[in-house]
This record gives sequence, C-alpha cells and structure tokens, in this order.
Amino acid sequence: MNTPGLMRAAPTGGSLTADLDMVARCRRGDGVAWRGLYDRYAPIVYRFLSAFGVPNEDREDACQEVFVAVYRSLARFRGEARLSTWIYRIAARHAGRISRRRRVRSLLSTLLVQQPPPPPAPDPSERSERLQILDELVSKLSPKKRLVLVLFEIEGVPIEEVAKIAGCPENTAWSRLHYARAELMAMAKKRVR
Amino acid sequence: MTPQHRWPDGPDELSAELRRALDEAALRGPDDMTLRRGWSAIATPMPPARTRRGFWFAGGVATTAALALAGSLWLWPHATELPWSGHGKTVAKAESPAPLGSRRLTLEGGVEAVLGRSSVMRIEDGAPRIEGGEVRFSVPHRQPGHPFVVRAEGYRVVVVGTRFGINVDGKAEDKTGSRTDGQKAVGVDVDEGIVEVWEAATQRRLARLTPGESWQSPDVAAEAPAGPAAVEPAPAPSVPAATISTQARMLRHVGKHPTAHALALASPGEITSERATSPAETPTAESTAARAALAAGDAPRALQLYRALAQGTGPSAENASYEVGKVLNEKLGQPANAVAAWRGYRAAHPDGILRVEADVSIIETLVRTGDTDEALSEANDFLRRRPGSERRAEIARLAGDLYRARGDCRHALAAYQITLGASRPRDAVEAATFHRAACLVQLGDAGGADAARAYLRAYPSGKFRGEAAALTSGGGSAPRP
Repeated sequence: MNTPGLMRAAPTGGSLTADLDMVARCRRGDGVAWRGLYDRYAPIVYRFLSAFGVPNEDREDACQEVFVAVYRSLARFRGEARLSTWIYRIAARHAGRISRRRRVRSLLSTLLVQQPPPPPAPDPSERSERLQILDELVSKLSPKKRLVLVLFEIEGVPIEEVAKIAGCPENTAWSRLHYARAELMAMAKKRVR
Repeated sequence: MTPQHRWPDGPDELSAELRRALDEAALRGPDDMTLRRGWSAIATPMPPARTRRGFWFAGGVATTAALALAGSLWLWPHATELPWSGHGKTVAKAESPAPLGSRRLTLEGGVEAVLGRSSVMRIEDGAPRIEGGEVRFSVPHRQPGHPFVVRAEGYRVVVVGTRFGINVDGKAEDKTGSRTDGQKAVGVDVDEGIVEVWEAATQRRLARLTPGESWQSPDVAAEAPAGPAAVEPAPAPSVPAATISTQARMLRHVGKHPTAHALALASPGEITSERATSPAETPTAESTAARAALAAGDAPRALQLYRALAQGTGPSAENASYEVGKVLNEKLGQPANAVAAWRGYRAAHPDGILRVEADVSIIETLVRTGDTDEALSEANDFLRRRPGSERRAEIARLAGDLYRARGDCRHALAAYQITLGASRPRDAVEAATFHRAACLVQLGDAGGADAARAYLRAYPSGKFRGEAAALTSGGGSAPRP
C-alpha cells in the first residue's frame, strides 16, 4: 500500500507572508480577515476533529471553541510556523482535552457504578460503514499515534509539519506513524477474521 | 522511500479498503449550516487576550475570581427590568448570557429573540414590533394556522417555524445624524425555514424568503442619500420595489442553543423589550370569534366563520382556509372533507406559508383513513417537490412504512435512506435505521445483520432493540408497520 498521506493535497493555506498579513489584520479587528480565516480553516478543523474521534455531538462546539482559542492566541502567532500548523496544534490540544474528558467521565461512571455514558450517536451524514469502522479503529490508537496518523494520512500534512504539531522530532513522527499504521492494519485484519 | 515510510504489508483487499476509508475520511466535512452556525458563534472578534508572564500568579487569582463571579452570575436566576411601554411594566426573562452586549429573551411559545445592544422591540397587540436595530428570532415549529408575526415599520413578517433576523435600520437621518420621523429601512434574512413579508397596509405579500435569502425594503434598495428629502413615507401600495438577495448573512450562535444572535447594530437607542403576551398573528374579529366558537365547542359555527374569513385576502384568509380543513378533520370527524378543504387551500395558495402543513395534514389524514395508495402518491409528490423541507424525514419514514406494508422493501429502503439523511426528528431516524435493517434482511442482503448491529450500537435502549437483536442472529423478520 502506498502512502496516501504523501499524495493527498496539503491543507489549503496561504504563504507565510499572507498568513502573517491575515493574522495582523485579524488582530486589528478586521472582520473580513477574520471571516477569511474562518472560511479557510473551519472545514479543516472540523474534519480534523472528526477524524481524531471527537464525537458528533461535541464536534460543532469543539470547532467553535478552537476558533475562540485561535482568536485569543493570535497575539502570540509569530509566524515561525505556517498558520495551518499553528491552528492544527490548537485543535489537537483541544481534541486531546475532549478525549481525556470523555475518558474521565467514563471512568467516574464505572467507579460510581452508574450507567456508563452512552456511545456517541452515529453521525447521520457519515453513513459509510467503512468510515465508521475506520473511526472505531483509529479511536483505539494512543493519542500520540492517532494524532500523527490523522494528520499525515487524512489531513495530508507533510511530516515535518506533523512533527511541529505533535511537538516531537521528525524521526519520532515517522516512527509513530509507522506504529500507528501497523496497529491499524493489525486491527483491521483482526476485525476481518 | 524507506520501509519506515511505507504501509506495512497486508492483504491487498484490506489495504485497498483502508485506503478507501482514509480517502473518505479526507472528504468528510461540515455542511454549510454547521459552518454558518460556527461563524455565528465567533462572528464578532473579541479583544485578544494579553498575558504578561510577570503577573501570572496575580492573573491566575483574578481569573479564578472572575470565573467564580461569572459562574455565579450564570447560575443565579436573573431577570431584567424593562421600561414601560403601554401594556404594563413587564419583566423579560434573560435565559442565558447573550454575548457581547446582546440580550436573549424567551417569548411565549418558546420563541427566542436576541436583541442587540441598541435594538428596540415593543409588544403591540400581542405581537412584537421592532423599532430599531437588529433582532434575531428562533421560532419553534408552530401549530398550523398560528404563525408567528413580527412587525417592522409598515411590514409584517410571518413565519411558521424558522430562524431569521429583522433589522430596522435608522437610515432615515438628517445630515447631522439625528433621526427624522421618516420610515426606517427594514431588512429580513432567513437562516432556516420560510418567511413571508407582507405589507401591513395593503395585506399584500411582498416576498417569500427561503434559507439564505434576504429582503430589504425599497428605500434601502434605492440607497437613498441621507437627508430629509430622502426620507420615504410609508411604502405606497404601488411600490413593492424591494430587493431579495441571496447573499448569506452572518449569524452568531453559541453552543447548541438554537438561537441566532444580533450583529453589530446601526441605530443607537435604549433596549426596550417585553414578554410577549401572544406571539400569534393579531386576530381579526372573525378569527377571534371562530376561536371562541371552537373553545365553546361550537365547531359548526367556527367552520362557518373560518369559511367566511377564507373568502378574503391576506394571511388571515390564508390561515382560515387551512383552519377549515382542521376543524373538519379534528372537530367534525370528516376526514374526506378535510382533505378536500386542504386541497382547496393548496389550489388557492400554491406557494402559501401553510402549504407544507397542508401537504403533511393530507398525507397523515389519508394514512389514518386507510387510503394508502393516495397517501403514498402524496408522500412521493411531497418528497419530489420539497427537497429542503424540515418535514421531509417524517414523510420519507411514512412512505417507507407504507412501502414496507405492501412488501415493497426496495422502495422502502430508498425512502428510509432519505430519513437517514436527516438528523431529526430522532424517533423517525431511529425507526428508519431499524426498518432499513429489517428491509435488508428481508431482501436477503448480507448487510442486513450489520445494519441491525449498527442500530443496536446507536440505540442500545431503542424501542426496536429486541427485534434488532433477533435480526442480528438471523432469526428475525421484518416487522409490520
């Protein structure tokens, strides 16, 4: 199997100068620039959150919260990375927080011998069973591996950017990707059997 | 490419399947409505947070205190006292903190209104009137024949259940910027559902807006220069030169609350709002008498009054025309005549605001009376003609059940698929999910058991769980509707 991530188009984003210009305009309170930023990155953030396993019922709010965080942090964007990388990093942090929150809630329910929270309802817009299975398998990966796999294989982010988002060296990113793929394939084989 | 950069070996079929799944995941994205709702939530930029490392601890304490204060304010039940406006001093309930200076009110009937910082809304004869600024409404689905009416200058905005906004803009100003007595410009934009704009003076419909469309009163369309000379009087009956544009408007939406919020407002002024006494349309003498007759149990009298009222024009006549069918069906037990009356309504008002209600009433009545052929024909016609209707999922589910009752699982599957494309109503989606699985099993499709399992995963305590479990073990058969 080839590396789909390498062939997928990288997320749409402007050049570094254009990014800096857009951010500067947003900071000045330019509504058009802010709308432009949202239009460009909201579908990406939403897709990333879906792939990362944020449940359908939390996704919309999570996406909004990511953009609130983006806005609040605009003053700290120095242009050292692409804007898309920076936004992915915020989204990843947020997705991780949601995933932890769900885990804690589930654990507490178990400890208190209550009814565990119901599994997330399937997204009616995602009727493909294939996609549902993929989501299920990806959700079983550890957060670090999941992040790298989602960014590279689904989002089409180049590995050097993936490394920046994950906050690890490039080789570590490759390594996590390798293990994530292997685990995914193993889980898929097991499921087929 | 190093081995590390390649996928591990696996069966070709499995690799291809994984690849397809990843491709599908890459194509996944939010729909337009989700994006618009998201934009609504963040439309107005907030001042970026400035953190100073040297004051972290103090900042932490201050933030904690602020959060505690905000939390207590959030939890503390509060009401906003509002100015006197001629119908008694009333208190509007602020449901939740609306962002950035706007105020959220809940009116009777569950209607949510969000007034911007300088919006002015009054209640006149039981219906809201917007005098300035922008107010956005979220109107739950209304009882047929009882639309929600908002007045703005010389216009009436009539809705059944939708999300929309009205902006009364103080464009009629003189050169010093002070307000003149002229009529202000009115703008309406629709997020969901259908909204009609009527000219109050002539009872004439000026526009029928679908989602994404907006309407502006003539003086705004003409972009008249500011100044006393440019102030237009109340719209003359012969000048319906308003514009409808399809330009999407920005809305603000917080979390899952189904309320849209106001944008930045043009006209300054105090916030004036009240609890609405009745969000229904201002009643005419006949409609009041008809309702009174119904309340008194005199259905024949109500029918007579509604029939007389239906001979007129305007929204009251249109409502009455629909009500005739309702009285015949619900009060007089004449379903066939009711269907005929609703068909009469459709003929008289092919694009009427109650058209969908009439269609749905006809279909439901035909099903109830056992005329399944006619019901199916009506349902299919509805599904063909109304691709964007919010009632589509219900009707598709109904059509699916009717097909299934005939043993036509193939057509039933197609109908259930339409229901599954919607996210609500939940019970219709749940039923369609299960019945789709049942149909697949009945057709001998290998995916039937999987579909039943998917149902059980999605609805572990669903009402079809027993039958679904039977389907997964191969022991079930499609239940009858």
